[in-house]
Amino acid sequence: MKEEKAKLIVQGMKEAGVDFAVGVPDAQFIEVYKMLERSESGIRYVGAANEAEAAGICMGAWAGGKKPALVIATSGLLVATYHIARINLLHEIPLLILIPYRGDLGDPRWLGMYQKTTEPALKAMDVPYRVVRRSEDVVRTIKECHESARAWLRSAAVLFTEEALW
Amino acid sequence: MVSRYALLKKLAGVVADDTLVVACIGNTTAFWGQLKEREANLFHVTLGMCTPVAHGLALALPKRKVVALDADGNLLLNLGSLGTVANEAAKNLTIIVFDNGNYLGSHKKEPGMRTATGGKMNLAKVAEASGIDSACMVDDAEAFEQKVKAALGSNGPHVIVAKIAALDDDRPEKSRRIPDPRQNKYEFAKYIERTEGVAILGGGLGNFG
Ligand SMILES: Cc1ncc(C[n+]2csc(CCOP(=O)(O)OP(=O)(O)O)c2C)c(N)n1
Ligand SMILES: [Mg+2]
Repeated sequence: MKEEKAKLIVQGMKEAGVDFAVGVPDAQFIEVYKMLERSESGIRYVGAANEAEAAGICMGAWAGGKKPALVIATSGLLVATYHIARINLLHEIPLLILIPYRGDLGDPRWLGMYQKTTEPALKAMDVPYRVVRRSEDVVRTIKECHESARAWLRSAAVLFTEEALW
Repeated sequence: MVSRYALLKKLAGVVADDTLVVACIGNTTAFWGQLKEREANLFHVTLGMCTPVAHGLALALPKRKVVALDADGNLLLNLGSLGTVANEAAKNLTIIVFDNGNYLGSHKKEPGMRTATGGKMNLAKVAEASGIDSACMVDDAEAFEQKVKAALGSNGPHVIVAKIAALDDDRPEKSRRIPDPRQNKYEFAKYIERTEGVAILGGGLGNFG
């Protein structure tokens, strides 16, 4: 991932008003995590041990007045499904979920299993999502998904394919 | 052995009105919700999520005291969260773990199934080895009250593992309805908005026509 593409993700988060991020890193987004961890991003990053824990930390941060983003891998989404389902369907709390989309065009590895699991999992948890395939859509989509999630009090996700991150 | 309800009664006597309390699912939520009418409660937080939710709250509101009412089976699902708590070092966070060595110990008239702490595992030592210096284990009401008071009056993070009876044989009268997760969310968020001057419930139109 090029530095300027990672910057776009962080810029989108900042323009969306995100001030708190929690996640577990993955190779595709590692530059994003590193940027978030540096304090100049203005976003407080908390590294969790498990994506389900990360979802819980986001829920607490939201209840405390923060605007959190859950930044997780497609693998991590599967780990976090129970907690995201509780948060979205039972508590109805808006998590902004940002996921680099493994297994789509541009991915140097064939990881097609995530094509089978990611969108069906989000649908099952009733989390609306957008797939971003062009880098010029990154910032706008993060902002719109965040704004909608907060207005609806429902979670929303953005999936970034490798095509958008090249 | 001391009961969960006996300890919750002690807690109700010492916790300040503006201390935020996050309760895990099961009888911890059920009993705490009967004990005290207070706005500063988040209920029904499921397995593996109680300590993380309290942690997120504590990080968001560093000037507010936050207490997690966690339980052995609940915490075991996300044990790594103790390492995160240690590293983030939120001074305002106290984690109480009601450790009955049991899953669903409280559910029926007999104990449920043994957890790892009902066997060889020691959660206070796990917390300490996770990097939480203030971690202790108590097994009676007086020690519990004293540790809770000390934790609420000093910098954390603190972990208090309370060894309790496997079965909840004393339980409160059901005197009120515990708000469901959505009602609880609205009331809690409004309370935080009012007392902290932050906007939580968002900019929806409030108009579904
Ligand atoms: C992921 C998951 N697995 C299983 C359950 C079912 N379950 C609900 S409460 C509970 C017991 C939790 O044990 P503990 O935290 O020790 O609480 P206690 O019953 O002892 O109060 C279990 C296993 C669940 N809610 N979520
Ligand atoms: Mg138990």
